[in-house]
Amino acid sequence: MEIIEEKQDMISIFKLNGRLDSNTSQGFEKKIFDAISDGSINMIVDFKDLDYISSAGLRVILKATKALNREKGKIMLCAMQDYVKEVFEIAGFDSFLPIVATMDDALKAF
Amino acid sequence: MPKKEYSFKLKNDLSELDTLCQEMERFGRSIRLSKKFIFEINLALDELFTNIILYGFKDDKEHLIKVTLTPQNDILCLCIEDDGIPFNPVEANEPDLGCTIEECKIGGLGIHLIRNLMDEICYERCGNKNKLTLKKNITPTDPG
Repeated sequence: MEIIEEKQDMISIFKLNGRLDSNTSQGFEKKIFDAISDGSINMIVDFKDLDYISSAGLRVILKATKALNREKGKIMLCAMQDYVKEVFEIAGFDSFLPIVATMDDALKAF
Repeated sequence: MPKKEYSFKLKNDLSELDTLCQEMERFGRSIRLSKKFIFEINLALDELFTNIILYGFKDDKEHLIKVTLTPQNDILCLCIEDDGIPFNPVEANEPDLGCTIEECKIGGLGIHLIRNLMDEICYERCGNKNKLTLKKNITPTDPG
């Protein structure tokens, strides 16, 4: 999986490309928590090019959201493909995670 | 749909998830399954495989996990066999999904996904092996 990290108006943006599973989730977790250690408290995860997610990927998103809540920050998840979104829905995560349709919607939330 | 069995083996290494994905795509194309269906059976097998690798083996040796896929008319039968410690996912507890984010625990989530994606799950301990059989209905209206 490829992760492109950008910064826009003090928001850390992570663009995921490929498959987020138990083999790739640790690398993603490290990038997110390195950014939190560097003082980032506002994040967007762009799912547009993510083809697949398993519970290992959900776990990283949950952990990051909890950490950012503690820092009084915020995370937005955007542009999920239908199958990926369905995994969030089956897990019940769509009830407490902010999932929006586009990157513009995500940026407007800050 | 042909009643042909398709099987492959994966080593107990998480990098084998890529092999699983390739095998599922090859198999899915061969019997013309929809992308959504391939995604769902890949996810169910991924969750089982990951569980087996992370918790199933108490030694550092190489183990092989066998996956067999058998299309039977309108049902796809998936069988996963490993020689790890006995584990029956059918008896595992359901996670509490009505919780708030701070209460939300991640344990059991993989099993919850499998239960939702599959129509039938059956566990057997055969000798020193775990044998899990999953069934999923293949609906003819499933969009490609």
